[in-house]
Amino acid sequence: MNSQVPFGTDETIRRIVTEYSPLLLRLACTRLGSTADAEDAVQEVFLRLLEARPCFQDAGHEKAWLIRATLQRACDIRRRAERRTVSLEAAAEAAAPIDSGSEIRTAVRALPESYGTVVHLHYYEGYTIREIAKLLGLPAATVGTRLARGRERLRQMLKEEDE
Amino acid sequence: MNRDDYRKAFDELSFSADFQERTADLLRTRAHELEKERTNMTFKKSKRLAVLLAACVALLAVSVSAAVAWLTPAQVAEEHNQPLLAEAFSGPDAITINETVESGDFSITLLGLVSGKNLDVLNQDLEADHTYSVLALRRLDGEALTNQNHDFMAYTMTPLVAGYSPTAVNNWTLNAGASGLAVDGVYYYLLDTQSIEMFADHTVYMAFYEGGAPNNTIFTAADDGTIAFAADFTGVQALFTLPLDPAKADPAAADAFADASGMNGWSNERSDPEEGDWDVERRETEDGETIIIQPASGDGEER
Repeated sequence: MNSQVPFGTDETIRRIVTEYSPLLLRLACTRLGSTADAEDAVQEVFLRLLEARPCFQDAGHEKAWLIRATLQRACDIRRRAERRTVSLEAAAEAAAPIDSGSEIRTAVRALPESYGTVVHLHYYEGYTIREIAKLLGLPAATVGTRLARGRERLRQMLKEEDE
Repeated sequence: MNRDDYRKAFDELSFSADFQERTADLLRTRAHELEKERTNMTFKKSKRLAVLLAACVALLAVSVSAAVAWLTPAQVAEEHNQPLLAEAFSGPDAITINETVESGDFSITLLGLVSGKNLDVLNQDLEADHTYSVLALRRLDGEALTNQNHDFMAYTMTPLVAGYSPTAVNNWTLNAGASGLAVDGVYYYLLDTQSIEMFADHTVYMAFYEGGAPNNTIFTAADDGTIAFAADFTGVQALFTLPLDPAKADPAAADAFADASGMNGWSNERSDPEEGDWDVERRETEDGETIIIQPASGDGEER
């Protein structure tokens, strides 16, 4: 049987926050144009982990849970902003502008969500297609297709920017 | 675009310098709050359990769940961020059960199960068939179960198979993983085991009970292989029969599994408890005295 994650002690809180914050914050920024929003999303995910006390078989399960929860929370925040009819770019500038120097980040956020996640996990975190399939619960073939299409769309967007 | 450009773009992101420290502080504060809430609930629960033990009564009634609105297995899977599993629970291979047993302070409802491969996003063994089962737990007194007040690890949800020893086919040998989550006062167990369809030509059970690994203080096995709770087992208990399709049985694989477990022996006979094997605790209560008898700590049993 698996064991329950002993999340709640000083030691485990420090471990999880230190180990996963960089990955989750960057991942949230594939959805959100504001680092402040990304920080909010990741904090909420850690709180959810603390309160929900899900059981994980190992660190791989723990990481997958955190990645999926972060993506979900970031999407919620983004959609809420969209419902308020505030443009994402305007909202980003109003909060904490982060993409003025990066066409790539802007282009990634413009990708369909399903493509952006796969592209980021592959390009930044260095996961293989099979590893991403496990993390996201998708068939490897689907991940491969999304990666290829996401990469092609990024190339087109960045090319248009150059022109 | 190459990987270096991509990494550089995201490395440029600037987050609050104190984010990790601030977040850890926030979590510590919340953890202390949760611990306080849990301690309060544990005290209340202990009191109720003492009354229950004093009465030595196990209520057992089977009925079909009707009035209570549960999440469906698909919704439970969604709550666990398992989209493929949610889809499978809504598909043609899913088995809906919705049977309820009332035992002790709880109403225990087995909602359903589904078997297949590549359904669990968190499972590392993507190519093997698994069985996923969902069970809902509710307090009969109406008090809401939460992630804080329910002691997930105090209970076991496990398949058992008639004709095989409960020690040979169970959660431990089936390499199970269980997840728990409270939603709207109901606590849901999502159990992932190696597929149990190979046993489908036997009577296959799903047991839920208070305690750890199956043993003969919890279960008895009849000569015909039928498994039941021991008559003197007074913990929370429920035993459901699973309507699996016998056509999916694989008797050779089932026998090989049981043999490989190395634990297919079983005896209902117990050695007489010797002095010192049991802890006897007497507690004064508002109604008189409660005597709690339980196996001595350190006896090796997982509880």
